[in-house]
Amino acid sequence: MANNIARLIWLFLMLLSFTWGCTESAPESTIRLGLAIAPTNLDPRLATDAPSARVNRLLYSRLVDFAEDATPIPALATWEALTPIHYRFHLTEPRPTFPNGAQLTAKDVQETYTSLLDPKTVSPHRGLFQNISRMHTLSESTIDFFLLHPDPLFPSYLVIGILPANLIEINHPFHENPVGSGPFLFHQRPDASRLILKRRKDAQLIEFVKVLNPTVRTLKLLAGEIHLLQNDLPPELVTYLAENPSISFQHKQGSKFAYIGFNHQDPIVGQNLVRKAIAHAINRGQIIQYALGGRAQLAQALFPPSHWVGASQLEGYPYDPARARELLHQAGFTSERSPTLIYKTSTDPFRLRLATIIQEQLQQVGIHMSIHSHDWGTFYGDIKAGHFQMYSLAWVGLKTPDIFRHAFHSESVPPLGVNRGRYTDPLTDDLIVEAEGTSQTNQQQRIYRSLQARLLDTLPYLPLWYEENVALSTTAIRGYTVRTDGNFDGLLDIQWTSSTTHPQLARQADP
Amino acid sequence: MMRLWFPLSIIGIWGLMALASPILHLTPNTIDLTHILVPPDQNSWLGFDELGRSMADRLITGATTSFLVSLSVVALGLLSGVILGISSGYFGGWVDQVFVRIVDIMLAFPGLLLAIALAGALGPGIENVVFALVIVGWVGYARLARVQVLALKHADHVVAAQAIGASPWRIMGRHLLPLITAPLIIEASFGIASAIIAEAGLSFLGLGVQPPQASWGSMIRDGTRYMLVAPHLVIFPGLTLMAVVLAANLLGDWLRDWLDVKEPKKMG
Repeated sequence: MANNIARLIWLFLMLLSFTWGCTESAPESTIRLGLAIAPTNLDPRLATDAPSARVNRLLYSRLVDFAEDATPIPALATWEALTPIHYRFHLTEPRPTFPNGAQLTAKDVQETYTSLLDPKTVSPHRGLFQNISRMHTLSESTIDFFLLHPDPLFPSYLVIGILPANLIEINHPFHENPVGSGPFLFHQRPDASRLILKRRKDAQLIEFVKVLNPTVRTLKLLAGEIHLLQNDLPPELVTYLAENPSISFQHKQGSKFAYIGFNHQDPIVGQNLVRKAIAHAINRGQIIQYALGGRAQLAQALFPPSHWVGASQLEGYPYDPARARELLHQAGFTSERSPTLIYKTSTDPFRLRLATIIQEQLQQVGIHMSIHSHDWGTFYGDIKAGHFQMYSLAWVGLKTPDIFRHAFHSESVPPLGVNRGRYTDPLTDDLIVEAEGTSQTNQQQRIYRSLQARLLDTLPYLPLWYEENVALSTTAIRGYTVRTDGNFDGLLDIQWTSSTTHPQLARQADP
Repeated sequence: MMRLWFPLSIIGIWGLMALASPILHLTPNTIDLTHILVPPDQNSWLGFDELGRSMADRLITGATTSFLVSLSVVALGLLSGVILGISSGYFGGWVDQVFVRIVDIMLAFPGLLLAIALAGALGPGIENVVFALVIVGWVGYARLARVQVLALKHADHVVAAQAIGASPWRIMGRHLLPLITAPLIIEASFGIASAIIAEAGLSFLGLGVQPPQASWGSMIRDGTRYMLVAPHLVIFPGLTLMAVVLAANLLGDWLRDWLDVKEPKKMG
């Protein structure tokens, strides 16, 4: 009965989705990737959203990349620290080329970072590079960076895609017509919801298609209109697709860090005892098992244990409602005088679902929580302005430990940083400064691990979990590998299975 | 008889669900993560939702929401509309002209769109939904009351009442209102169906009741994400909503025929 109903709904939604096909389409040999959010800005100096950053990785080359443990590794260039404020980068051969055939040079690197630092460019990444005092191009393949202050993490910031110097000079609109030296070329952008790239090595076209509704995205994958989906699906739909024999499923531990933030100036959640009570009252293990379908790992810190500063020894807060009640009692709350909190979140149905579970679990220990869900703009505006008691958000793509200064140093309250909870702790400030002044990696690791233990004790954030990355593809394609940070680098190797080419092409060839 | 009994049964069950819900010891907001999306079976006829909450309990609690909202909207809309419509029709002159212009302006907006805009501006919440729907809904009753009063205000009994010095409020309340009750009741019966749909629509858009409170519209909204894996999340509240709205409309049709003096009386 349920299966028949599901089939009927499937048929109905498929008929609806056919209207999508009434628009201009790319060739049938194109591999299509479905996205919940389309990339918005194809200029790496300006892009801040995750889809744009992931697509820009394909279009542009960068000086530095990251290993699996997030340590910086050479991409375009190797480097040496001549002094603590003087770095020399050597472009490795063979250097990549731009679409016009010109090789990428040190001049392109210098012009890219010069334009990024130019206030007229209005780059949101400019703050990260304010420490650069000047750059000097020594040869076609060597460039020096001079810093104002020593910063051992400096090479790991140089992940911005390199643009051609000649086009920077004429203010080329890279955001809508990207020109880079990456493994893909910009091919076409028929409308805001579609973007087509061409793979350099074999001219394979890859189309990114925005399909907002996860159910429609699922149906398009099943119908073969889309060949690949990555993340942004409810866990139940992931399981539904993973069980389908015509779908290939892969998953990998991710680094997307979900957390609950607290306002430290609030008279209730500003108390560490209350924050600890909340931490003990939330059954994160059960939420992961049932609401996230087991596709997340419990988090105790900002970085996962696999990160080079990851702190695997942290024990965290086990689910213990009795301990939570005891802590609330110590904080002066009783059953007659129980705390009442407001929890802010976005209108995303999945985030609302998690909020409702947390609300119920806090109710069990006597914390009354009301959920305020707002559209993204209002919600994010409130968080930046400090208008909240509790909120939930996630950090995506964190790589470098400079985030500790931006998120937790007492001087990083917005607009100077992202310390949105107005967290102030002298010991945390000292540890951040001490780590920044250390050039030895093992010493940095030790200090950052102490810092994370301190953060877990004082709870500016309550760490929830690291969400897994999942990829679902039709059996018509192969070769895609899902990555820890959810990037699209797997598209470099994706291809049609064996000799099938695309089924519709095969049909066209059949007399 | 079928024509009357079918809608009456549905409306009766709906009212019973709404009124009995507070004494049934339901647990519509109790989350049991181990029951997430469990389909209907012998132990739970309607299954569980995406948070492991009982669908049956939430459906009954949702009936309370729709019942309270629809009755409040119709009652407040009727009260304000009738007072304004009768006054406008009876006094005439500039009062009537201003009233007619306001009604024209109100009617120039699509009703539900205006309600969405109002509910959005006021913020989510059931009280704001009622307020927004009353702002949109009073116009129909007021227009009807005015037209009826315009046709009746020169009737002999009204002229006689004026001649013996009855106050305007007494004439409106005692000599006009009873005569326009029948069409207003018919309008109100259709208004109930519209209010149920409007509340469900606003809740579907997230402007109605807030989590974890249950409403049929929000149940359908939450269920749409799981249609492929748990169709019961949409089917049961959808069918319930359809049945109640259909019954309210059928009851309105029957009332219209029954109260129509030109139609021969027949039951069902």
